[in-house]
Amino acid sequence: MNSVIKISNMSYKYPTGKVDVLKNINIEIEKGLLYAVVGPNGGGKTTFCNVLRGFIPHFYRGDLRGEVLVNGKNIVESTLGELSLSVGFVFQNPFIQISGVKETVFEEVAYGLENLGVHPDEIRTRVEAILKLVKIEHLRDKNPFELSGGQRQRVALASIIVMEPDILVIDEPTSQLDPQGTEEVFEIIQIMKEKGKTIILVEHKIELIAEFADRVILLHDGEIVMEGTTQDVLSDEKALSYDVMLPQYAMLGLELKKRGVPLRKIPITEEQAVEEMNWWMAERGVRI
Amino acid sequence: MSQAAKTNYILNLYPTTKLLFTLFIALSVFIVPTYWYAYAMLPVCLIIAIAAGQGKEFITLVRNGLLILLVFIFLMQAFFYPGAQILWQAGILKITQEGILYGLNMTSRILAIGSAFILFFRITSVKDFVYSLEKLGLPPKGAYVVLATLQIIPEMKKQTSVIMDAQKTRGVETEGTMMVRAKAFLPTISPLILSSLASTEERAITLESRAFSAPVKKTHLYEIYKTKHDTVVRIGMLVALLILIAGRILL
Ligand SMILES: Nc1ncnc2c1ncn2[C@@H]1O[C@H](COP(=O)(O)OP(=O)(O)OP(=O)(O)O)[C@@H](O)[C@H]1O
Ligand SMILES: [Mg+2]
Repeated sequence: MNSVIKISNMSYKYPTGKVDVLKNINIEIEKGLLYAVVGPNGGGKTTFCNVLRGFIPHFYRGDLRGEVLVNGKNIVESTLGELSLSVGFVFQNPFIQISGVKETVFEEVAYGLENLGVHPDEIRTRVEAILKLVKIEHLRDKNPFELSGGQRQRVALASIIVMEPDILVIDEPTSQLDPQGTEEVFEIIQIMKEKGKTIILVEHKIELIAEFADRVILLHDGEIVMEGTTQDVLSDEKALSYDVMLPQYAMLGLELKKRGVPLRKIPITEEQAVEEMNWWMAERGVRI
Repeated sequence: MSQAAKTNYILNLYPTTKLLFTLFIALSVFIVPTYWYAYAMLPVCLIIAIAAGQGKEFITLVRNGLLILLVFIFLMQAFFYPGAQILWQAGILKITQEGILYGLNMTSRILAIGSAFILFFRITSVKDFVYSLEKLGLPPKGAYVVLATLQIIPEMKKQTSVIMDAQKTRGVETEGTMMVRAKAFLPTISPLILSSLASTEERAITLESRAFSAPVKKTHLYEIYKTKHDTVVRIGMLVALLILIAGRILL
């Protein structure tokens, strides 16, 4: 296994906190896969992301134990500047993700590349491409301060992926978006995955996770209580006991199974559900 | 900047050239002893401002920012500067020749220097100015603070009115006499300060996520250059300065 992040026995307590917010985390993140992090509010998802990006312990002090290796290097020994080259982080709150020194969306998206010392000509080409990809070309001359929540979320996403880090940590990128916008963001994430990026995505929209993610990490009360392929985790009834919804198709499958319908596996997407039902009906000699 | 700005020779000068001009004026009013020279700097600045398409804004700023101050200083000097040549007297109040002269000297210099700085900020965008400072060696953090502060001011103004409205709906009087407004000031300003304190931390994290401290040399998408116009203006100012100094010594 080719892992880009390796976390062993990691626990963390915020400086102001009394208890550990992350408890004995062990996980290896494999290169090129899309990991969905799910779990109830306050489960520690954002905190987990902050560790991956090194904001814990470099920005939020607190008490970090165990070992976190990013590309083989302990994050404690890396600087935030070094980590910025390999890990991109899109925050949960789109309202704070504005540099505050740029007058247009175009310049805002270009800001990270300026900081990375990219040549201006290349910056222009890359920003153009990303604006198109994220579908915010029409916003290019707008003042970043004057955007709606959804627009800001897209600008924030664009501003990070334009920097082309190998690892992308994305915390609830669709919270401010309508269904159409959500769909589009998932398409962008898919494109990033095809480019070979490793992606850690915090997201609540379980149907979309079922469709796009390779693996699912379930964080509950600071612990990884479930981890595995999307198929395994999202078809397991146990997830419900950790306050995580399962896809409606999985719920249907579980219900059918309970009632004695012998499905080969619990479907988690629409496609699988259709396939299972067809198989089952064919088994029983139903013609459609 | 607008399309028109791109073709304006004055606006297109490099920020430090404009700053040197301002300093040139500030220096020259101390070299040339006559107050009419210093007063003449106002029309000079005005002409430059008009040529740069900023005449109206310039006049407004000079009027709002300097006029009352100058009148006040002039009267203070005219009445209270010690002198023997009394021009007018009523009781203990008297106006002396020396007072008037001193008042004219002082106000003319304040006016000249004030106008020169107002002119500078009218014809130089903050972005350009900070860019040139960064090229001169101002560290990126310093440049960021200057730019962010200046960008945040209009944001703060907007937020203030939002908070004012919120306070109004909660029954806090925000309009009326000085006293009423002073009382409303605290509940208005404190959420503003608290929220900007909270966002400093977030701002720092945002900057980090945009590779602010990446161990590489930054580039600039937006660049401005010195042109031969800058050289000409700089040499011109140097020559003028030498002439003024020579004149001062010889005459
Ligand atoms: N800066 C902080 N200081 C102290 N405690 C914090 C801080 N940020 C989060 N916490 C605490 O850590 C726990 C986990 O929070 P975290 O933000 O990681 O949850 P989350 O899973 O991202 O939740 P959500 O779904 O609401 O985004 C919570 O109990 C929270 O109160
Ligand atoms: Mg969170």
